[in-house]
Amino acid sequence: MRQYIPFLPVVAIYGTLFLTGLLLEGMWQPMALLAFYGALGQVFNIFLGLTGYVDFGYVAFLAIGSYGMAIAASSLYEDLGWWIVPTGFVLAFIMASFLSIAVGAIALRLKGAYFAIATIGVSEGLRYLIEGTGLWGGSMGIIVSRPLREAFGREGANSLSTFWADSILYGIALVAAFITLMILKSRAGYAFLAMREDEEAARVMGIDTTRYKLLAFFISASLGGLIGASAWTLKMNYVFPSDVFDIVYTIEAIIIVLLGGSGTLLGPLVGGLVYGALKYWLAVTFPGLQLLLFAPLILVIIVAFPQGIIGILRERMGSAFRGVIL
Amino acid sequence: MKIRVLLLSILLILPSIATAGEAILIGGPISLSGKYAKEGEQGFIGFKVAEKWVNEVYGGVRIGNRRVPIRYVYYDDESKKENVTSLVERLIKVDGVRFLLAPYSSGLTLAGAPVAEKYGALYMSHGGASDRIFEQGFRYVVQTIGPASSYQRSVVDMVKAIDPSARRVALLFEDSEFSRTVMMGVKGYLKEKGMKIVFERAYPRNVKDLTPVLTEMKARRPEILLGGGHFADGQLLAKQMGDLGVDVKAASILVAPTLPAFAKTLGKEANGFIAPAHWEKGVRFNRENSKGIGLGYFGPSQEWFIREFKKESGGLEPEYHAANAMASILAYVKAIELAGTTDVDRVRDAMDRLHFVPFYGEWKIDPETGKQVGHKMILIQWQKGRKEIVWPEEAQTARPCYPMASCPGR
Amino acid sequence: MPPFLIALYGNLLNGAILGAVYGMMTMGLSLIFGVLRIVNVGHGAFIMVGAYTAFFLFTLYGIPPLLAVPFSFIIGMGLGALFFYTVIKRLIDSPELTTLLATFSFGVLLEEVAKLLWGPDYRGFNWEVGSLHLPFVTIPLEKLYAFLASVSMALILYIWFKKGRSGMAIRAIMEDREGASCCGINVDGMYGLSFSIGIALTVASGSLLTLFIPVGIHPYMGGIYTLKAFVIAVLGGLSSPWGAFFGGFIFGLVENGAYSLFGLVPGLEPFSMTYFAAFLILLILLLIRPEGLLGANGG
Repeated sequence: MRQYIPFLPVVAIYGTLFLTGLLLEGMWQPMALLAFYGALGQVFNIFLGLTGYVDFGYVAFLAIGSYGMAIAASSLYEDLGWWIVPTGFVLAFIMASFLSIAVGAIALRLKGAYFAIATIGVSEGLRYLIEGTGLWGGSMGIIVSRPLREAFGREGANSLSTFWADSILYGIALVAAFITLMILKSRAGYAFLAMREDEEAARVMGIDTTRYKLLAFFISASLGGLIGASAWTLKMNYVFPSDVFDIVYTIEAIIIVLLGGSGTLLGPLVGGLVYGALKYWLAVTFPGLQLLLFAPLILVIIVAFPQGIIGILRERMGSAFRGVIL
Repeated sequence: MKIRVLLLSILLILPSIATAGEAILIGGPISLSGKYAKEGEQGFIGFKVAEKWVNEVYGGVRIGNRRVPIRYVYYDDESKKENVTSLVERLIKVDGVRFLLAPYSSGLTLAGAPVAEKYGALYMSHGGASDRIFEQGFRYVVQTIGPASSYQRSVVDMVKAIDPSARRVALLFEDSEFSRTVMMGVKGYLKEKGMKIVFERAYPRNVKDLTPVLTEMKARRPEILLGGGHFADGQLLAKQMGDLGVDVKAASILVAPTLPAFAKTLGKEANGFIAPAHWEKGVRFNRENSKGIGLGYFGPSQEWFIREFKKESGGLEPEYHAANAMASILAYVKAIELAGTTDVDRVRDAMDRLHFVPFYGEWKIDPETGKQVGHKMILIQWQKGRKEIVWPEEAQTARPCYPMASCPGR
Repeated sequence: MPPFLIALYGNLLNGAILGAVYGMMTMGLSLIFGVLRIVNVGHGAFIMVGAYTAFFLFTLYGIPPLLAVPFSFIIGMGLGALFFYTVIKRLIDSPELTTLLATFSFGVLLEEVAKLLWGPDYRGFNWEVGSLHLPFVTIPLEKLYAFLASVSMALILYIWFKKGRSGMAIRAIMEDREGASCCGINVDGMYGLSFSIGIALTVASGSLLTLFIPVGIHPYMGGIYTLKAFVIAVLGGLSSPWGAFFGGFIFGLVENGAYSLFGLVPGLEPFSMTYFAAFLILLILLLIRPEGLLGANGG
């Protein structure tokens, strides 16, 4: 049981967010925004944190997942009724997995900056393919408010978008955190550690690096697809290619992971909280200036605290706590 | 570090500065940074000016025999959909706003709609033109900006009135939700009027060079060009048409020619270009000519609006985004007065009956969908370095010049 | 000639001219990557600075955009040095994650400062110098100037790189950092110099770009150029400035030529498809020839 102790703070924080949203007036959406950032970081961390590879086109997986849900909702609502939502999640998962296997098989042979650029290419290329061929509505995208209303009724559709879509996000975040913990505590965790330190050496030692990289990539991508399906299609009710293939989300994921501590369990969550809260607070207090204030802050953090919040905490704290905070 | 996180969460939970004693709160997320910062700035100042007029000139909203002031509440959404949902909820639950102003663009408007619907707050679209928003079955979403499908239709009317023989039309537009909706709206209309589409292409957002597509279009010898999307691409289109010697009899481009920067940049090459607009300085809607319409004229005069806009913005010229914004608040005020209460459902019912004219032009929604049906687009054309209103005939400040090559100053 | 061929010919010519500017635009990115192994994700923001420089010099002082290029170069040197000594210097051996994020953040900072100073308006100007009439096509002269200026700047850089003292030192570092340091080359100083020159080239190319596209100057205009520069840099082998210059040519030709070909397929939007094709080529090249089309490496 001891190995599950580091999971407790994760559950406690997400639980606090959830209850705060539920009990305090007007706090549900802001808490859901924090949960979105937490989930995004948690899921992205599985690949970036464990392997050290930077997927600069990560947003493609969220985008393809949001299309999965949108396709299910807009084309099947007459036959399936409320079943469109589970079907949509399955479709989102499948589409994101396929994309991750295809991209992974190709791009994961590349290293460092070459990998980062290749993944940007995948994300942008996919977007222009959709716009250029008119696939899935092309640049017009898909709007699912009407199908959701037909399938769930007015009240049902409203609570699906403003309550359930967010709740599912908490679930995805917890699952991602749990998977991270399992990997960190297992043999695979040591394999990843060895790979991050020196990939060549790890390979020589008999670690099948390609398999581990692909595994992390696959898990991270397919969970990302579920985030897209829930946080974008179900919550926002629309998918426009220019909106979902936005590189900003990839950047946000990177910032969150780096801020909290890459490769740690609690890092992405803490990073997501700090990032989300800071942005929300800046938007409310300095409307129009938040990016101007934010950019230098990131630069300072990169230069002064590259190991992230959790990284620093682990360094400073006694060994007794290290078992708890991972 | 933990303490910092704690402090931040406390700041989050603190409600914003206490709500003013008795005022009707009207507000919404607005894009003050990010990709819609420019349109957001116009809308934002438009709202501020509207607030000033209602409180200082008009004397507050008339409910029974009381006069209640309004207060405009806003947050920056950074042009991002994630921020819209939480800011809309904050506005409703923490600030207590029941009359929301949707953010700029159709996408962001859609993002906030489910939250507004859930809490039963009215949600006025002043910058979300897509017709598709109003085909989704929302109850509390209403539109002030004219729907996208209507944008380019009046150009067809104008050309038909001047030159019934013109037939060959080229459509060249930005590949985005907005411009595609516009083009789909005009395609059916072109067929109805017996025009022939000889060229139809979309170019991606962020395009920096249109040479290939313009070369291709030139070879099809169109007489009329309908195109554009947003500002940058529209200006590029006009510029490169000149560079490549593409000669058409009339060219109507979305958005770009409505802004003064268009002519400032292009100089004499700007002359002759047409654009549909929601509003333009010089449009003559006033107390006299709006007598026959529903509730008649309401709001400040156009001169007052322009003067105050410049004062508030430190010298900016108002564009139609600002006029859309101001008209949205005027519609709320008028609807609340008509309902005689601030009860949201009764105000929404009153909106179905609301039919009035602010300086911006007629305001009337389709009761079924909330879509704006009263507002008519006007056409502007650059002539001798000045933006003239050329259509409809009753609003003209100058006669349209056609073909384009005959335009004075070109 | 049949209309299709005329269009193809016109597009290829346009592609070649634009390609030279694209090449120039990417040389700075490749130089920085070649020497410091850092991908400048904020690349487009520096192009934006160059475009504004040309715009203000022209509209305020009537200085023709061609003469704005040296000004932009100096501004770029300053910006590059500032960014290098405050941030980049401390990150030289850090993982990609931090350098990618640092350059991105600096780009955002530049954009936001530009917006604060000059507002969110789209700016543009009109510098008319006439046109060159060739059979079947007309080429505005300012585009031709941009082409010539790009080629000459690339040449100057080439000569400096091959013959200049510091140029040779930088080449030595690209080949072998430890070795260069043993030979008494001040590696840190050379890092600073090549980073600053890389940024300066990028800012200068922003000014040149306004000759080609004098409209749409805007704080956030750079994003698409960053993406294009990535593709071009990969075409040229990522770490070779000359490779990048020729990569720009090839990119310009492919982008414009592919338009005509995709236009033949009904139901496709050829413009978006050229963008798609560009990224497809990027992926294929990274897989089969990561050293670039010309196989050039390190100059």
